[in-house]
Amino acid sequence: MKRFNYYKPRSLDEAWELKEKIPDALFIAGGTDILVGIKNGELYPPALISLRSIPELNSIKINGGAHIGALTTISDLIHHPALYNIYPVLVEAAKRLGSVQIRNVATIGGNLCNCSPCADMALPLLVLDAKVRLQTAKKNREIPIDEFFKGPGETNLTPNEILTGIVLESPRKSAKAIFLKKGRVRMDLAIASLAALMEMEGEKCQKARLAAGSVAPVPLRLFKVEAQLEGTTITDKLVAEAQQLAAESVAPITDIRATKEYRRQIVSVLVKRALKNILGWSQA
Amino acid sequence: MKKEISFTLNGSEVTVTIDEHLCLIDILRGPLGQTGTNEGCREGECGACTVIVDGQAVNSCLYPAFEVEGKNVITIEGLQEPNNKLSVFQQAFVDHGAIQCGFCTPGMIMSAKALLDTNQNPTEDEIRDALLGNLCRCTGYVQIVEAVKQAAVQLKNKK
Repeated sequence: MKRFNYYKPRSLDEAWELKEKIPDALFIAGGTDILVGIKNGELYPPALISLRSIPELNSIKINGGAHIGALTTISDLIHHPALYNIYPVLVEAAKRLGSVQIRNVATIGGNLCNCSPCADMALPLLVLDAKVRLQTAKKNREIPIDEFFKGPGETNLTPNEILTGIVLESPRKSAKAIFLKKGRVRMDLAIASLAALMEMEGEKCQKARLAAGSVAPVPLRLFKVEAQLEGTTITDKLVAEAQQLAAESVAPITDIRATKEYRRQIVSVLVKRALKNILGWSQA
Repeated sequence: MKKEISFTLNGSEVTVTIDEHLCLIDILRGPLGQTGTNEGCREGECGACTVIVDGQAVNSCLYPAFEVEGKNVITIEGLQEPNNKLSVFQQAFVDHGAIQCGFCTPGMIMSAKALLDTNQNPTEDEIRDALLGNLCRCTGYVQIVEAVKQAAVQLKNKK
């Protein structure tokens, strides 16, 4: 394996200073993707700058909405005493990420920055309209999460920028959401996955959010499907149309896990299951 | 670059000089000579290298050695009982035929221990979830799950 230096800064300022000095260094969170990339010879950074020892990145604050530090591990999300009650869809997705060993180390920020099309944490955050906080030594910005993903492994981050946290508003009482993932075995990456959220007022859908994974270059908001559902009374026919529209909106590829045709089919089925579950018509 | 780190390994303080790019498994099996932890895939899929760091099961092949500074690490060697007696986990795996080639066993046992340390009465689903990241190519998992159930009962009776 290629040798590299490993730095453990204690503050963000120290991390940015190191990055200034070693521009080709990579920031590393849990490392479950980066270390695999290095071992496989896909990445060869001269240095890794670990963000694990920066205390301010490691907390979950709940105050009406929530601020989740980027270095929060997937296990910490699952075991947090209050998070599940407020954002069940986020915790459900966390439970489906990898194995216990991976969840104990992998972080929510790392999952987003790795920017895999199958990133499990991206989908619930997309349907929750999360914002990500991106910081450099000089600049601090917050952008909607659907603007964060640019392509496979490619994010909106500028070279010295660090994703420091995720900002969530408090969900409406009427909002109901679900996360569904289809993989060959439970631990595997998704063949296709879907998160959906709807706010219903009586029979009417006031707000709809759908996001699909493993079916496009990035975790994908299904804007057309959302627009079609919002403001309508949802019927069986409309669900069928939403399925069709979802299948047309995605751009999957064929790889070792599945063919593009199968992925399209699965997305359509996941849309049906998600909507029917949210509406209380059936169990997912 | 080489650096010195100190941490607790199976109850004893150890200090070791390491290359910064190494992972925990490299220093366990290398300078520390603890070869009970096995390396399978080297990429976090198989769980053969599972150890417990500060109470949590982790893949030691994906854990930067540098990050264990000051932490508490337990490996399969840490479960050894005095006088060569088999530990509860070892006996349970033997009783149920949960071992064939044995390569995955240390990792399986560490994942099971991490579970039982925090959950005395796991359901079968919880056991299967805890062992999801540990692959066994011989036994088919049924015997392993049965062994963990037995270990859970015995550990509870011990207390």
